[in-house]
Formats: sequence, structure tokens, C-alpha cells
Amino acid sequence: MSEIKVSVDNLTKSFGDLLVLDRISFSVNRGEFLCIVGPTGCGKTTFLNSLTKILEADSGTIRIDGEEVDPKKHNLAYILQEYSTLPWLNVEENIAYGLKIKGTDPKTIKERVDEAVEMVNMQEFRKFYPKELSASMLQRVVIARAFSTQPDLLLMDEPYGQLDLNLKYKLEDELLKLWEKTKTTVIFITHNIEEAVYLSDRILVLTNKPTHVKTELINELPRPRKVADKEFVSLRNKVTDLIRWW
Amino acid sequence: MERTGAIEKQSMVRLENIKKSFDVSGKSVEVIGGIDLDIEKNEFVVLFGAGQCGKTTLLKMIAGLEDITKGTVYIDGKKSSGFHPGVGMVYQTTSLFPWLTVMGNVEFGPKARGIKKEERRKKAQYYIDLVGLHGFEKHYPVKLSGGMCQRVGIARAYCNDPDIILMDEPFGHLDAQTRYMMEEEVEKIWAKEKRTVIFVTNNIEEALYLADRIIILTECPAVVAKEYRIDLPRPRSMVSEEFLALREEISQLVDIPRESEEKAV
Amino acid sequence: MGAVIKTKKTQTVLMGTLGILVFLAVWQIAVLVTRFGTIFPTPFEVLSGMAKAVVEPIGKTTLLGHVGISLSRVLVGYILSSIAGALVGLVMGASKLGKAVLNPIFNIIKPIPGIAWIPLAILWFGTGNTTIYFIIFVGGFAQMVMNTMAGAENVSQELIGVARVLGLKKNRIFLTIVLPSCVPYIFSGLQVSLSTSWMAVLAAEMITATSGCGWLILSGMQSGNMVNNVMGMISIGIVGLVLASFMRIMERRLCSWKERGQ
Repeated sequence: MSEIKVSVDNLTKSFGDLLVLDRISFSVNRGEFLCIVGPTGCGKTTFLNSLTKILEADSGTIRIDGEEVDPKKHNLAYILQEYSTLPWLNVEENIAYGLKIKGTDPKTIKERVDEAVEMVNMQEFRKFYPKELSASMLQRVVIARAFSTQPDLLLMDEPYGQLDLNLKYKLEDELLKLWEKTKTTVIFITHNIEEAVYLSDRILVLTNKPTHVKTELINELPRPRKVADKEFVSLRNKVTDLIRWW
Repeated sequence: MERTGAIEKQSMVRLENIKKSFDVSGKSVEVIGGIDLDIEKNEFVVLFGAGQCGKTTLLKMIAGLEDITKGTVYIDGKKSSGFHPGVGMVYQTTSLFPWLTVMGNVEFGPKARGIKKEERRKKAQYYIDLVGLHGFEKHYPVKLSGGMCQRVGIARAYCNDPDIILMDEPFGHLDAQTRYMMEEEVEKIWAKEKRTVIFVTNNIEEALYLADRIIILTECPAVVAKEYRIDLPRPRSMVSEEFLALREEISQLVDIPRESEEKAV
Repeated sequence: MGAVIKTKKTQTVLMGTLGILVFLAVWQIAVLVTRFGTIFPTPFEVLSGMAKAVVEPIGKTTLLGHVGISLSRVLVGYILSSIAGALVGLVMGASKLGKAVLNPIFNIIKPIPGIAWIPLAILWFGTGNTTIYFIIFVGGFAQMVMNTMAGAENVSQELIGVARVLGLKKNRIFLTIVLPSCVPYIFSGLQVSLSTSWMAVLAAEMITATSGCGWLILSGMQSGNMVNNVMGMISIGIVGLVLASFMRIMERRLCSWKERGQ
């Protein structure tokens, strides 16, 4: 189980005199669901952008399977807060798009799209365009697209931040199901402590700027988890105490 | 102006069979289907529901921003139509006047009502301090964070001396932690400056944390589905057993429960 | 970090100076080496001509005098057109009736460039300053109207509601909400119309005046004095740059509430 899939060593980034990321090191095991939480304003965006190489870090390495990460070689998928669907493509074309740019052959694309559509229960909506879909359905399309590429690493940045609570619960459960089925390695960044405790195998707690890893908590609560359980509440309290600033 | 802390047995806001329909491409769609509600003085009432329609419209009707299709709104015992001087509102998104500073925004109401500069400045300063924005008086809204903007919105509503404050999902766009902070803040301010508050949210944690009474509305057309009187002592803990139990109960009532809980039933 | 910014600034200034020097060098070489030189002065000749023209009059007045005359004409026409354009724009943007009445005729007048009015203007007002003011006026007017109208139309209805709930009387919405919302739009109108005004003054001066930068350029060409011609052009460029910078500073002052950052 504990085979290391992703390892990040001493990731550091500053803007001028302002040190934002301060030697962040951690690793993610193959098939692990890692949640990263930190206080509001903890340099989350910089962290994410450095991780995805949108920003060049000042120093530090990110390795996948022991090799320096390279977007051309490794398959990284992102799910962000905005529903980044392409408005001129319908649901199945949107899902296929991710595979197409990876150069997958048409037959595999078809198989994977069918599979993905089924996984997120969107069979009836295959031919719908994004503007005809609700926020939660759009998020499902994005999730299906990400999983269909069978990524080495799936990075999620607070994807459910703006949704209704109940909808959020539902999508979280769907996400867990997909993850259990595909055994994808996931890094999930959130401000929401309860969400982190609900989803994760392990929680990485970040500090305020300059951001570094404060601590790591293993989360072995049995799934499906219940938010009112004593152990759940006690872990939630523990994480809250670690980052509470308000 | 003496304000007592206790809830008095006088109805501050009274809604009588309120209905609202909108014309949607020629067809009349009913979004509110007959709501009766009595809200006592200094009560903190939360309108809660998973649906998109109804809650905000109801607030807007009380504020005079929306016509009432049918029914009557009484404020402090008198029939009300249009804008009422005793009603203030805090909005969903940043509804601050971008060309005015924090001070300019907070003193807007008193200024519009012709209160002298010295007096209104003093009052505005009091509320700016109360929401914790001392030192930011001269800042323009663009330079403030989302949480700070909502503080200004709260101070602005209070500064106009309303008896009733309507809050329309004021924290919907804030991150989870800032949201907790603002909820604590609202409760503190309310404890200090008692007013009748009607607060709209679709977040059950927020509803339970703040409310004296939760009114659960159905989806379109919105009617009152159920009421909960919340007697948990304040300030409340969001992870206490009673709180979580109530949360689960109400969640199940309004929408799809978590899968794990569904199985457990 | 302060030091970093400083070096960056010096660098920008250095690069800019370098660019100007290269340009002057190319000009000099072109005049000396190619057939350009038979009709065209060297940069040195132009610069010394300018220095001389500051004290010695060309035609009615010195170089600075001509610049001053053009500038004063622009200001009169520009200020009038800005005020009128903003007012008409506000009427069209804030009142449905106003727009219904004015929009069709405005849309026909809008595409007619200011200089197309020159013959009519001469007919109406003769060849004096009034004609020039008029040309500048119509040059900037349409831009002002369009921008101001866009501003008045885009006033947030939500903010008007907010103000009403706070107790603002209906008759004060215009001054308290609509007008401040329009300020950024009015400013971009002012900026665009300033550059069209500056163009319009030259065109008008070339045709009907005996002074000003436009006259300087045209008379320079007609009398074969290319130094005067180029001098006029350079003065225009410099004055235009100064005016645009002035407007930017004003905007930053008056619309500071729009600026993000620390």
C-alpha cells in the first residue's frame, strides 16, 4: 500500500522579499486520498500553481514515480472551483476532449467516455451543452473528464466550495466512489475542515504565510463516515485547533 | 432609544398569506405560495431551504424592493408597503457603493435621511468599530477582502438604526473558515445590539448556529414546511451532540442525506 | 525589493532613451545617405530650428505661441463638447424617453467625422475661431455621448435598491448613485475625445487659420520650409503626450476607488 507515488521536497517560492512557500515537503502514496487544509490566506493558490508548474518555484523538486514531474510525460488532472467545461462542446465531447489532447486512440476514447458517463450517472445528458446543465452536473462532467484520463495524480482545489451543503455531500460521496473504484491518487485542497475529515486518508495541515507543513494526521476512520460520530468530531476538533485563527 | 435584550411578546414582522408570482415568458410562475409568519421583537429567525427560489424574494418584499402579488406585510403592527424606514438589509454579494469609502458607505443611510455630519460620523464610527474595522475608514471597497466587505455591509445596515435587519445569504461566497468567523461576529453583534433579524441561508450549520427559530421553506412554490425552535445555549458549539443531531434531522428533512446516513436509515 | 524596482525603472528609462537615439541616428543617416536629404532636414536642423523658433516668430508668433494658440482652441472646443456630450449622454442613458427621441438622429450623426463639417462650419461661422471651436466640438461630442450613455445605462439596479432601502429619496438617486457610477465611463470618454479634439484642431487650422500648429505644418509645406513642417509635427506629438499623461493622472485621482492593489 505505502508505495510512494508523488513526492514533493523543499518546495519554496517567494515574490520579491515576501516568502510565500517555505520548504514544503510531503509525499502521497499510490491510490491515497490526501487532503490539504490551511488557514484562510495561507498561500494556497501559490502552492497549487507551484505544484502544477504554472508558477516556477524558486527551489525544490516534485517527483512522480521517482521522476521529476513533466506535464508531457505524466498525466496530471485538475479540478478547480470554476467548472472549466468548454461551452461549445456537449457532455460527451467535453469528456472526450481530455483524452483527445492526450492523443488516445478513438476506440479507447469511446470506451472510456461511456464508462465515465456511467460512473457519474449522466447517461441521459450525453448530448447536453454546459449551459443547459446545473452547477452540480457541470461539476460531474469535469470530474468524469478528469477520471477518464486515468491520471497519475488528480489535483482538486476546493471544487465544492460554492455549492449547497446537501449537494456537496452528494458529490463528495460520488467522488469517493469513483476514487475507490479507480484507485486514483488524489490531492484535495480545501478550507473546509469537515470536508477534509470526511474524505481523506491523511490530512496535511499547512501554516499561515510563509507556508510550511505544520503537521500530518492519519485519518483511519472507517468509511462510510458519519459526521456526528465521536471519533469524527474529535478529529475535526483536532484539525480545527491546529488552524483556528478566527 | 432603549432596547431591551429580552424577546418581547409583540409581533415585529407579520406576514399574512404572502404570495408571489413572476411572469416567465408569458406564463405566471408562483414562487411563494401563501406564507404566514409572525416574528417577535428581537427574535433571530432563519429562513432555511435548499431551493433557489422564494427566500430572497420574501426578504425583498419585506424590504420594499419587490412588489407583493398577494397578502400583507405588517411591520410593528402597521401595514407596510414599499420602503420602510425601520428595515435594513445586508446583501448576498458585495453591494457596497464602490466609489465611497468604508466611512462613506456606513454613513450613507443617516446621510440620506439628512442627519448632521457630526452626529452621523460619530454613529458610523461606533458601528465601524463594532464590526472590527477600526483603521479602515478611508479604504475603498475594492481594497477589502470579502469578509471585510460583508462587515461593512453589516455596519451600514446597523448604522441606519433599523428595528429589523434582513440578511440575504450574506456569507455564501466566503470560504468555510471566514464564514465561521463572520457567524460568530454576527452573533456577538446581535447579542450586543439586539434587533429583529431575518436571515436567509441554505447552510444548515449556519442556521443552527444563529437561529432562535428556523423556518424551513419548501422548494418552488415556497411555503413553510416546518418550524424549529432552537433553544441551545449561546454561543453554540457546532460539534456538540445536540447540534449535530439537529443538523442531521433537519438535513434529512430538506434534501438528500449523505449516502452513509441513507443506508443507516 | 525597493532597490529592485529602482533598477527596473532606470532600465526602462535607459532603454527608452536608447530607442530615441537609435531613431534619431537612423533619421540622420537616411537624410545624409539617401535621396530623402534633398527635401528633408536632419534631426539636428530641426532641433536647432525649434530652439530658434522659441524666440523668433514664425508668421504671427513664436513656436510656443503657435502651440499656445492651438491648445487654447482645443480647450474651448473640448470643454464645450465634453459638457454637452456628458449631458446628452446622461439624458440618453438615464431616461428611456430621452434615448428614444435622440438615439436615431445621434446614430446618423455619429459616423460623420468632425472634418466633414468644415465646409458647413465655414459657411455658418466664417473663417474665425468659431469655426475651429465648432469642428473640435463635433469631433469629441459623439465619443462623450456614447461613453456617458453606456455609464448611465450600466448603473447597477441593485445599488439603487440598496440606496432606497437605506432611505435615499427617489429624486436624489441621480446625483447620489447614477452620476458617481458614470465617472469612470465619462473619463474614458474624456480621454478618447481629447485625442480626437487634438486631431480636429489641426485639420481645422490647416484649412481656415493663420496661426497654430496646423497652420505651421501646412505653411511649412507650402513654402518649402520642411524644418517648420517637422517642427509643427513634433510639437503636436509632445503636447499630445503631455495632455494624455495629464488625463491619466486626473483619472487616477478621481477614480482611485476603482484601483486594486495593496
